[in-house]
This record gives sequence, C-alpha cells and structure tokens, in this order.
Amino acid sequence: MTQSDIVLKADKIHKTFGQVEVLKGISLQARNHDVISILGSSGSGKSTFLRCLNFLETPTSGTVTLHGEEVVVRNGKPANPRQIEQLRKRLGMVFQQFNLWSHRTVIENVMEGPVIVKRETKADARDKAEALLQRVGLTERMNAYPSQLSGGQQQRVAIARALAMEPDVILFDEPTSALDPELVDEVLKVMQSLAGEGRTMILVTHEMGFAREVSSEVVFLHEGRVAEQGPPQEMFAHPKTEVFERFIAKVK
Amino acid sequence: MLELFALGDTGWGDEILRGLLVTAELAVATLPVGILLGFLAAYFSLSRVAPLRALGFGYTTIMRGMPEILTLFVVYNGVGMLLNALIQWWNPEAGAVDFSPFAAGVIALGMVFGAFAGEVLRGAFNAIDPGQIEAGRAIGMSNSQVFWRISLPQVWRFALPGLGNLWINLLKDTALVSVIALDDLMRMTKVAVGVTKQPFTFYLLACLIYWALSVLSELVLAAMERRANRGVRRAA
Ligand SMILES: Nc1ncnc2c1ncn2[C@@H]1O[C@H](COP(=O)(O)OP(=O)(O)OP(=O)(O)O)[C@@H](O)[C@H]1O
Ligand SMILES: [Mg+2]
Repeated sequence: MTQSDIVLKADKIHKTFGQVEVLKGISLQARNHDVISILGSSGSGKSTFLRCLNFLETPTSGTVTLHGEEVVVRNGKPANPRQIEQLRKRLGMVFQQFNLWSHRTVIENVMEGPVIVKRETKADARDKAEALLQRVGLTERMNAYPSQLSGGQQQRVAIARALAMEPDVILFDEPTSALDPELVDEVLKVMQSLAGEGRTMILVTHEMGFAREVSSEVVFLHEGRVAEQGPPQEMFAHPKTEVFERFIAKVK
Repeated sequence: MLELFALGDTGWGDEILRGLLVTAELAVATLPVGILLGFLAAYFSLSRVAPLRALGFGYTTIMRGMPEILTLFVVYNGVGMLLNALIQWWNPEAGAVDFSPFAAGVIALGMVFGAFAGEVLRGAFNAIDPGQIEAGRAIGMSNSQVFWRISLPQVWRFALPGLGNLWINLLKDTALVSVIALDDLMRMTKVAVGVTKQPFTFYLLACLIYWALSVLSELVLAAMERRANRGVRRAA
C-alpha cells in the first residue's frame, strides 16, 4: 500500500468543550474505497469527531489532510481558514436529521451545491441531479418539497445532494437513526450500493449489521479515544478489549 | 350631504384624496427604510462583536421606549437644526432651509419601524433550522452564500406575520405627521372638520379609509404568507 492510496487522514484530533475534553487525540486514515464505520456508545464522541473532519466543529488541535492538503489546527484556530471551504467542497456530509433545505424542491436541493458552490451551469446541474435522483429512486418526487416526503425519501435526497458535489469522501452521521424502522432499509440499500461502486465513506452508525457486512474497517470509540479498530469480521469475532466486548453484547 | 365630498372647490373629496395619497406615499417610502434599519438592528444584535451588539440593543431599547411622537419631534426639530448648522458652517452666506416634514416623517417612522422590525427579524433568524445552515456550510458555501441562499429566503416565512403587524401600525402611525404640518389624510380631515363643523361625518370617513387600508394590507399579507409557506407542512 502506498502513501497515495490515502484519501483522508486525521491526525491527533483533540476537542474540548469548556472544561471537558471530548476527543483525546483521535487519528484515522481512509484509503480509497474504504468504508469505515465508527461505533461507540452514546457520548463517546463519534459525531464530534466526524464533524471535526469537515470543520463543522473546529478541533482544539490536530490535522486533517485530504489528498495531501493539510489543514492544521492549533489552539482552536485553523492555520489557514481559507482551506476549510475548499475541504468541504470535497467532503460530502449526510446528517441524521437530513437537513434538506425546506424552501427548495427536491431537485433544487440537489442542484444547489453544483450551481452555487461549483458554479456549474444550471443545465448541467439539472442533468446530473436528474441522474442522481433516478439512482436513489426519486425521479417521481423531483418537484416535491422536502416536507412532502417520508424520512427515508428525504435521506435519499440528502445522499443525492452530497453525491452531486462529486466528493472524495462522504461522511454519514447516523443516517438511519431518525427513520421509522420500516424505512431504514431503503437508505441502507443506497449506501450499500455506494460502497459497492467503491466510494470512500466514513459513517457513524448503530446499524451493526451494516457495519459488519459492508464496512472495510471498524473504529470503536470509547471516552474520546480509539479503543479498538480493525476489519469487522475479526473485531466482532474476537474483541480485544473488554469495553468493545460489552458494547457488542449490549447491541445484540 | 354628498356635496361635502365632491371633488373640486365645492367639496372636500379632492383634499381628502390628496391627504390619502400623502399618507400612502409616506407609508410606502418609510417601509424600505424601516426594513433596512430592521436588518441592521438584527444584524448588530446577533453579532458576535460585543460593541455592535450593544449598539443594536441600545437602538432597539431607546426607540421602543420613546413615544413615537417624541421621536418625530426630535427628528423634525433636531435634524432640521443640525442640517441648518451644517449648511451655515459650510457656507455662512446660505439662508436657512426648511427640513421637509415628509423627510422627517420617513426618518422618524422608519426608525421606529426599524427598532421593532429588528426584534422581529432577530427572532426570525433564530428560528431558522440550524441543521439547514450546517448543510450549506458542509457543502462548501461561504457565509454570504449561506445568508443569501438559505437564511434570507426562509427568514421571510418567520418574519412576515410580525412585519405585517408593523406595517399596519405604520399605516396608522403616519397620522402623527399631521402635527408637523404634513398634509396627510389625518390633517386634511381635521381641516375639513374645522371648516365644515361636521366632525362626525369626516372622522367617520377617515376611520373607514384607515380601516380599508388595513383590510387591504391584510389581504395582501395573507397572500404573501401563503407564498412564503410553500413547501412547508402546516402544523396540524
Ligand atoms: N456543542 C457542544 N457543547 C458542549 N458539549 C458537547 C457539544 N457537542 C457534544 N458535546 C458533548 O460531547 C460528548 C460527545 O458528544 P457526541 O455527540 O460526539 O457523542 P456521540 O458519540 O455522537 O453520541 P450519540 O451516539 O448520542 O450521538 C458528549 O458528552 C456531549 O454532551
Ligand atoms: Mg452522535
């Protein structure tokens, strides 16, 4: 494996809220085509870490490197704040609560980033958006508003919106946790197909089945540290730490 | 009795209509000034910079605490004096100028509208779903793109009912300018009452006109709210 395989690298990410250190130096590397599942109990810092990767939360210190472009943070200040918008253009994000723009239709949601951020023509953006919506099975609801869709449909639109930016890596923060149980599968299927086509993905999830079957690597966080990491089959079969063993027992 | 309202020399119809026009012009001219001041006040009071925030809150508190009519006097007399002092200083030869009561009305009513609108807009900006703002930032939008593409289009939805109320208040507050000798609907009504000694008739007419203006406004506002709420599920 060469250095150039590494798409996204996080190095010693620390985050302190007030007096509480929530992330105590987390490092992680994603190679091309990796699907990394981040697991951990509530409050272990999963969301905070994911949000540090695209600076929705500014780390207290650490380095995020995307394709060799380093964003270094010291004392809660990025050395070069201009890098952050550039980084975000190349990192997609899918949220637990979908966060679609409620004043725009489905297709407008998908076209927004390409047109406004990447300055693509509307015609190109529309063609691409239509193709993506077809891919997530929502061609029929193209002109609906988000509030007229089910949660599962909204999350599929949100995935199409992220894909429209042609990101190098897509981050997912519990993409199915806000969904009614019967809607979870339609979203997981889309995510599985993305993994199948070799997209690089980092997700926080409570879907153990998905983490085991689809991901190439599992990272288990405990109290702001990586307690255990490795290939899912092996980790689930032979947990090395007591905390992870207890965690698996609890979610079973 | 109808001849009282006749247009032309014999009746008061044309004077009242001209007054109505002045009232409408004043309100329409004040609205953009007030909305602009409202946005500034909201922007300041939401600012992370403490002195700006103090300025925003100071303006809001003072304007809300002052009787509108006092604001009007302060602007009309104070600004007029200031203007003349400036002109004198610039060119001692120049004679005194009159500060137009219309301009004083626009500024004073605009300042009042702005202070209240600032509160309405501040609440409206706070009501926007922070997740949608994050979604914009996550996609690489700049702060100004987030403002123009996500916040501003949605802020109307939350602000419209409040701003609508302020507009209707503004329509009625225009009557205050009659005290600084602007020939608005109220003043023309008073003149007509003074000459004809028919207070009931003319005050009733003025009532009906003000009321019609606010009913008309409410209809327009309801249509605007329907438009702004497109795509939003009504609370059941
Ligand atoms: N903005 C914030 N201010 C203060 N504390 C915060 C903030 N965000 C998160 N925290 C704290 O940081 C810790 C980690 O939170 P985080 O949301 O990352 O956990 P998580 O692993 O994603 O949990 P969950 O599974 O419940 O989503 C928690 O104790 C939380 O209370
Ligand atoms: Mg979380």
